[in-house]
Amino acid sequence: MPPTGDPLARRYRRLLLGYPRAWRRARSEEMVAVLLDAAAPGRTRPTVREAVNLLRHGLRARLGRPDSRSVVAWAALAAVICGLFSAALATWVAWQTARPLPGRAETAALVAEVLPGYDLGNVQPGSALFTFYTQPLRPRNLDSLLLGDGGEYQQGATVAGATGRPPASQQEMLALAQRRLGETGWRVYAPHVVPEVTCTANGCTPTGGPSDVSLAARRGDTGLQLWLPGKPSIDNTYLTVSLSRPAPPAALPAGIAAGLLGAVAGWFVFGWASRRTTRPHPAANGVIVLYAFTMLLWCAPVVLAAPSLLRHHRDEPHPVWHPLWEWLGQPGLSLFFVVGALCALSGLVLATAPRRDTDPLRSTAVG
Amino acid sequence: MREPTFLILTALAGGPRHGYGIIREVTTLSEGRVTLLPGTLYTALDRLTAQGHVAHDRDETVDGRLRRYYRLTPDGRRALEVETVRLRQLATAAETRLGALRPRTA
Repeated sequence: MPPTGDPLARRYRRLLLGYPRAWRRARSEEMVAVLLDAAAPGRTRPTVREAVNLLRHGLRARLGRPDSRSVVAWAALAAVICGLFSAALATWVAWQTARPLPGRAETAALVAEVLPGYDLGNVQPGSALFTFYTQPLRPRNLDSLLLGDGGEYQQGATVAGATGRPPASQQEMLALAQRRLGETGWRVYAPHVVPEVTCTANGCTPTGGPSDVSLAARRGDTGLQLWLPGKPSIDNTYLTVSLSRPAPPAALPAGIAAGLLGAVAGWFVFGWASRRTTRPHPAANGVIVLYAFTMLLWCAPVVLAAPSLLRHHRDEPHPVWHPLWEWLGQPGLSLFFVVGALCALSGLVLATAPRRDTDPLRSTAVG
Repeated sequence: MREPTFLILTALAGGPRHGYGIIREVTTLSEGRVTLLPGTLYTALDRLTAQGHVAHDRDETVDGRLRRYYRLTPDGRRALEVETVRLRQLATAAETRLGALRPRTA
């Protein structure tokens, strides 16, 4: 179409970018003329209704199914879920840049700074930033990880405990820790009180007994969790300090970049398969069923995990957020993800089957 | 057949029309109830052309703007006739039932 100085025509033409190039080549001049004819005199911008209509129909045409009312929503779902899992994978890789967990010496120094006069001699350094049953994840653990034990892949921590007769009351130890943490530059969160409860088949009720108290704090790349049980534990532990690492600075940009790339890739792969399998494709129904299974298997863990993790985050302070993959139900429900990935790959392989029509580009070119 | 498709075929039954002409005619035929947007119109025109119900008739340029005219094909006319018969049958059946519901005068 010849260039024009009319701003309304220019804006309409911009909205037509949602349509495939072949369609625009054949139709855009005619379409812009109709839009200009239909526009009220003096208008310089498309109405919202027009813009939404053009983008919606353009994207449907681009996805090869101009008559489908839902294809854009299905493509968006594929893009979002691919973006989320890509972002989670990238944050996992970025986590490898985090400093190792504090060792015995660093832990002892931190404890002496925060709780002067307390002997937390029993220090157990964490074996890795993320552990599987408290040990670093090894290839031989992958089958257990997939088959039900994925929830045991958790963030590691260096733990120090004090046992014996408490030298002070729970409230005194809490007050000392709060004061010292504040004085030594830690960001201190509100104490979290867990009442002692007794549980029956009908639920749990508070006993009125001594409550457990935890205190969270963060300074730089160290997260601290102080645990003061209401009653000493079976091994007479009356105070526990656990130290962990928050997500390293690289996690956020890596997650955003990979999330965007994954979403774009998800959209384009969906678009390719959608265009490829418009009828009469021999495996059109099979590809749709496999797509549905993939989305179910990928979305179900997210739907199950994210709300409960959100409640957990609201219930108690978190100096260190749970990593993104846990919000997506991974690797607790990683079997769902793996089976979903197999469904997606099978669908893509089926989509490559030769079409029955003689001109496979007809439907995509016309849009 | 969806209502916009039926109205587009009805608009073209009166003779070849360009895109904006079809939009205006559909508004008139539906007494202002249906206002087609160009995105919706061209999706329907693409489908009807692929089905052989509508064909390109001619091009004109008015005030520097391209106007592409479309006409109803014999297949399109038959599809419109079939749909009209179906809608008439449904309307007649509904009228008959509604007539039976009206209170009888003494």
